Amino acid sequence: MIALDLAVVMLLVVGCGFYLAGTIGLLRFPDLHSRLHALTKADNVGLMLVCAAMALASRSVRVALLLLIVWALALLASTVSAYLIARHAHMARGYRT
Amino acid sequence: MTAGTLLDFLIITGLVWLAWQVVAGRELFRAIIMFIALGLAMAVAWARLGAPDLALAEAAIGAGLTGAMLLATYRRLLEHNPAKGGQRYARSSRLALPVAVMSSLLVMLLGLTLVNIMPVEGEVAGQQAIQLMQAVPMENPVTGVLLLWRGYDTLLEMSALVAAWLALRILQPQDAATLPPLSSSIPLLQALLAAAVPIAVLVGGYLLHAGGKAPGGAFQAGAVLAGAGVLLGLTGSLQRSTRASRLLRAGVVLGLIVFSVLGLGQLAFGQPAFAIPGLWTIYLVEGALTVSIALTLLLLFLGSAGVRRPAP
Repeated sequence: MIALDLAVVMLLVVGCGFYLAGTIGLLRFPDLHSRLHALTKADNVGLMLVCAAMALASRSVRVALLLLIVWALALLASTVSAYLIARHAHMARGYRT
Repeated sequence: MTAGTLLDFLIITGLVWLAWQVVAGRELFRAIIMFIALGLAMAVAWARLGAPDLALAEAAIGAGLTGAMLLATYRRLLEHNPAKGGQRYARSSRLALPVAVMSSLLVMLLGLTLVNIMPVEGEVAGQQAIQLMQAVPMENPVTGVLLLWRGYDTLLEMSALVAAWLALRILQPQDAATLPPLSSSIPLLQALLAAAVPIAVLVGGYLLHAGGKAPGGAFQAGAVLAGAGVLLGLTGSLQRSTRASRLLRAGVVLGLIVFSVLGLGQLAFGQPAFAIPGLWTIYLVEGALTVSIALTLLLLFLGSAGVRRPAP
């Protein structure tokens, strides 16, 4: 049990670290594309780690599956919105796809 | 200071800061984004206060639908007057400061009064309501209270939605000018729709069904379904139309009619109006309310009296 709790804490800490890195990247990176890169990649991994921690902490398969769905939906939404933002910027600069 | 208090403190300061950013924001677009963030923070606050029903409603309507509506209006504004993009706010009315100060004082006084109220000895209304709820096959007290004791409120809320739709029908532009939809040939967008819309329908149905025993109910379900409609509208899969089909009009008033007929029908059986005879009525009323709420919210977002499929 203690090993499990330790794993939960480790996952949470590393996950929050990814979120922090993504947010710092969003705030500090110079242009739109590197910001998107920081935000989507780091946050998706961060969410995965946090979800994994929650699933372990709940000790229930049902909650774990629900959290898996939550992560998959967030993945889908962030992928598409990052693509749309990048595409808009691309078109606004005069390129045509 | 425990971790819980720290979290509460963070949420409260965040709420105040976000609210300040909304009204004092330097740019219109920034203020809209801050408003959406404020809605999400409010949802977190409600969840933290143990009111998941309100958290769901706030996230779906306050942050989601209203935010999308404001963003769509902003885009419309830019189309009419591109110079407004990035424009700084003009100074607001001279009344703004006194009104804000008086309102804050009022809220502070109310808060202080609430803090000072001594816990009431003996029976209070809330306990009585929970006890009476044992007789009804409802495990979610929120839905129970909304339908059993606040039937008139719910009815009037539905009337307000129908009145809003009527106003929209009168005020809509007659030239059927539509927002240029996003190009529907973006493959990723279609993939998102293919996944998101069925999931939204599933979640809406679940929220409606769960309303009897867990957080959920007609308003939350309607808002989620309307959100799916907004996605379809933004991507051009639903187009605005100045004419509402007969089916659509029936859907908009369905909730009001079903609730009124069932509620007044109780008079014929010697019951008080809006008494709820059984679980089946609750599901019937909630289902009809969901359809009307979803349709009205979607039409209010689109700003047109009706919708139609795009011409092939």
